[in-house]
Amino acid sequence: MRIAGPSSSARPADPGRAGEAGVKRRDVRAATRPFTRKARRFPRQARAERLAPYVLVAPAVLIIAALRLWPLALGVNFSFTGDGELNGTPVGPANYLELAGDPLFHISLRNVGLLVLLLPLAVAIPGLLATFIYLRVPGHRVYRSVYFFPAVLSPVIVGAIFNLMLGYDGPLNSLLGAIGAGPVDWLGDPGIAMFTVVGVHVWATFGMALVVFLAGFSTLDSSLLDAARVDGASLRQTIWHVIIPSLTRTIQFVFVTTMIGMLTSMFGLLFVMTSGGPEGATYLPEYYIWHQQGQMNRPALASAASTVLFVVMLVVGLLQITLLRRAGRQD
Amino acid sequence: MPGARLARWAAAVPMAGLALATIYPLVFTANVAMKTRRDYILDRFSPAGSLRWDNLAEAWTGAGMARYFVNSLVVVTCAVALLLLLGSMAGFALAQLRFRGSSVIFLGCLAGLFIPFQVIMVPLTRVMADSGLIDTYPGLILAYVAQYLPFTVFLMTSHYRTIPAEIVDAARIDGNTVYGVYRRIMLPLGVPALLSVGILDALFCWNDVLIALLMMPSPEHRTLMIGVNALRGQYSDDIPTFASGVLIAAVPVLMIYLFLQRQIADGVTAGSTKG
Repeated sequence: MRIAGPSSSARPADPGRAGEAGVKRRDVRAATRPFTRKARRFPRQARAERLAPYVLVAPAVLIIAALRLWPLALGVNFSFTGDGELNGTPVGPANYLELAGDPLFHISLRNVGLLVLLLPLAVAIPGLLATFIYLRVPGHRVYRSVYFFPAVLSPVIVGAIFNLMLGYDGPLNSLLGAIGAGPVDWLGDPGIAMFTVVGVHVWATFGMALVVFLAGFSTLDSSLLDAARVDGASLRQTIWHVIIPSLTRTIQFVFVTTMIGMLTSMFGLLFVMTSGGPEGATYLPEYYIWHQQGQMNRPALASAASTVLFVVMLVVGLLQITLLRRAGRQD
Repeated sequence: MPGARLARWAAAVPMAGLALATIYPLVFTANVAMKTRRDYILDRFSPAGSLRWDNLAEAWTGAGMARYFVNSLVVVTCAVALLLLLGSMAGFALAQLRFRGSSVIFLGCLAGLFIPFQVIMVPLTRVMADSGLIDTYPGLILAYVAQYLPFTVFLMTSHYRTIPAEIVDAARIDGNTVYGVYRRIMLPLGVPALLSVGILDALFCWNDVLIALLMMPSPEHRTLMIGVNALRGQYSDDIPTFASGVLIAAVPVLMIYLFLQRQIADGVTAGSTKG
């Protein structure tokens, strides 16, 4: 498999230059339809050539269709069948009714609500940090690399590290003790545990959003900022009237991806840090699905929960896009 | 902005604090990994006097991290190689070739991007079990390829769209077949994108928990991340060895981060600027 040959160095060649090298010495004639011209001359080869695009996309299409799109349909269908003895028999909406009555699933959905409420914070923090890095706060180069680094760590590693950090006699409680605050049972108190896990998730992922914001800043028209400076705008005015309106697309993107991240990539943390506890307080739909499928042997019920999660994500995503678009238009 | 300079310095202080809070947990873990059990119980914060490799050795051999490490390495390497091959083939065709149904196929790939694994995990596990792929290396590799292929195809397509069509036309006039164009021109021109997509795919697969947990139930097939979690129960009274296991799992990623940070950031941001 020739993906990146040994000759390709760590710093990839500039595509423009490589392109020149590829076609240098070659006479670039103006031919608008090389495909058809060839087709007339070599009929058999032409057929192979016409099929070539399909051959190239076929493996990807087959895999995506069979292992992503087809399971989605299968899962929805599956959620209307029974578990255990009723395996495979249609039971109508029974699974959904059971979900509606399951306190554990209620907690999962309530926690999703909590995540939605915390979302503006999870977007504002990296946004503000990116603004300061863009405005060249002393040490801005270092901050960028440091903040981004937890984003590449696995949730398992992050969770394991924070199990040590947040232990009853761990570093964080020692720090609190030093300033006279009592130790907090970060992961054992049902009222606190969910906030702790979300906090750790934000710690681990805000660098992602930060980098996306910085990429958005690099497309910002610097003459606008100069104009604001000439007009004597304050920092707050500059952020509010220049930076935010110019970055609507980036902000939209960060909102949606952060939300998806919160709903779909906290499993590792829950798995390592709380196992859904204490008293089920840190259940999220993804953990509920895994628990019902793997531990309770209720795959059909889990499928129903999957379908609900998918609908929730669609609704939240579309709602966000609509709201943000409306907010963007008002400016 | 008269207050701007002051604000910048005022912001630098909490930002430095945050940077410290970002680094410290890992430093703490690395420090604990160097301590003896006794030292850890007596004082977990003091710097370990010297570099001790006993705990790392215990985690590597005694706890079976070596086995898990090799499992992860094999699976991730195969998955990423396949992802890049299939992703660049499809990306080239979708971006540069005109054929019937191409836009439908592109939309299908895009739809795959918006289906989270959680939503399809039950039926996917069943499909895998029915085809006898559960608890096998090919099964896990295939699951990873399926999971990250939409992303890979999407980024490769948007990369290949930036390459002028004249290059393809010129190469075809010179007598290259479509496959020749792919192999001789598109693969070399795709290297920058292949590199950043490949690194991201590798990170995703290496760091994954849920897919490995579902696809590889037996202990000897554990990937490194599942192994780290298993270590937690096994060494619950030997925190330094547990911390060593965490360190072993984190170090390869940290190395990649130190050397290829720019490519990682490019991959992460590509979706936001091109999408």
